[in-house]
Amino acid sequence: MTLLTILLLAVITFTTRYLFTHPTLPITLNANAQKFLSYSAPCVLTAIWVPIIFAKDHQLVVDAASPYIWGAAIAIVAAKYTKSIYFTAIAGGVVFVALRIFSSY
Amino acid sequence: MSLAIKTTEQRALKLAIIKGAVDLMPLNLAVLPWGVLVGSLAIQQGFSVFEAQLMSALVYAGAAQLVAIELMSNNASILTLIATIFVISSRHFLYGLTLRNKLKLLPAKTRIATAFVLTDELFAYSGHKRAYMTKVRIYYGLSAGFSFYIAWNCWTFIGIVAGSFLPDLTQMGLDFAIAVTFIALVIPSIKSVSILIAVLSSAITALVLHLYSVELELIIAAFVGMSAGYLSKGLDNTSSNKDFDHKGSDDKCCENTGIDSKGSDCKDIAKEASL
Repeated sequence: MTLLTILLLAVITFTTRYLFTHPTLPITLNANAQKFLSYSAPCVLTAIWVPIIFAKDHQLVVDAASPYIWGAAIAIVAAKYTKSIYFTAIAGGVVFVALRIFSSY
Repeated sequence: MSLAIKTTEQRALKLAIIKGAVDLMPLNLAVLPWGVLVGSLAIQQGFSVFEAQLMSALVYAGAAQLVAIELMSNNASILTLIATIFVISSRHFLYGLTLRNKLKLLPAKTRIATAFVLTDELFAYSGHKRAYMTKVRIYYGLSAGFSFYIAWNCWTFIGIVAGSFLPDLTQMGLDFAIAVTFIALVIPSIKSVSILIAVLSSAITALVLHLYSVELELIIAAFVGMSAGYLSKGLDNTSSNKDFDHKGSDDKCCENTGIDSKGSDCKDIAKEASL
C-alpha cells in the first residue's frame, strides 16, 4: 500500500513538472506571455524564502534579536555587492549561527 | 577535420557537465539538512528503508515529501494526500510553462529527463535566454539537475541510516540554509525596476498569505508578483530591459541569476558549442 501511494505521489510531482513541456499541448506563448513568465523565477523563490525569515509556525516574527532577520539582511547586502552564492551563504550563515548561540534566541 | 570538431565538441560537453554540477554545488549542500530530515522522518514514522529511499528517488520533492510522510503516518485519506501534494507541487506547472518554448523542442527522452529533475533549484539556473537550446546547454541543465538529484538521494540515505541518532532537526533553524541560498539567487537577478516591484509584491503577498495559512500561498504570491512586474515593465528603461531578458547579456553565463561564476568557462562553452 505504501509503495502504491509513493508511486501515485511520484506521478503527481512528475506531472506538475512535465505537463507544460509536452509539445502537442495546444498552448502557444506569445511575447507578452513570455515576458509575464520571465518574472516567475525571482517571484517564486522569494515567495519561498520570505516566510522562512519573517514567520514561525504561521506567526509573524519581527524582532530586533531575530537571527533570521539579521542573517537575511547580511545575506541581501552580500548578494548585492558580491553576487557570490558562497560568500552570501557564509556571511548570512555566520551571522545567523552567532546570533543563535550568543543571543539565546 | 571532422575528428577535430568532434573532439572539440566532446570537450565542450565535458565542460558543460562539470560546470552544471559545480554551479549547483552550493544548493546541493544547502539541502543537506532537508534530505537528512526527510530520510530520518520517514524511518521514524515507520517507512521501510526501501520505501524511504524510493520516495526520494521517485517523488523527488522537498516540502511535498515531508508533508506526505506526516500525512501517511497519520493515516490521512488518499484524497487529502493527493490534494495536498498537488497544491504543494503546483508551482512546478509555472516552471514547465516558463520553459515550454525551449523544452518542447527537445527530443522526448531529454525532455522527460529534464522535466523529472525540474526543481526550484534547477529552474533558478534555467533562465538564460538560450538555456536548453544548444546541445551544450542541454548537457549543462541535465548535469545540474541530476547532480542535485544525486545529492538529495545521498542526503536522504544518510538520514535513513543515521536518523535515530540525530537530534530533532526541525528545531535547529536549518531552514535558514534554504532561505539564504534563495536570497543569493534572487538579489543579483534584480536588475530592473519591474523585477524589484515583482519581487517585493511577491514577498509581501507570500508573507501575508502564509500568516493566514492560505494553502496556495506560493502560486498566488508568484502570480501577484509576476503581474506587478509585468504591469510595471514600462518603468524599465530600454537598456535594463535588454539586460532583463533573462538577465543574460549573451555570453555572460549559463543561468538567469546574474551570478557570473566562471563566466569565461561559459563563454568558451558557448563558443565551442556553436562549432
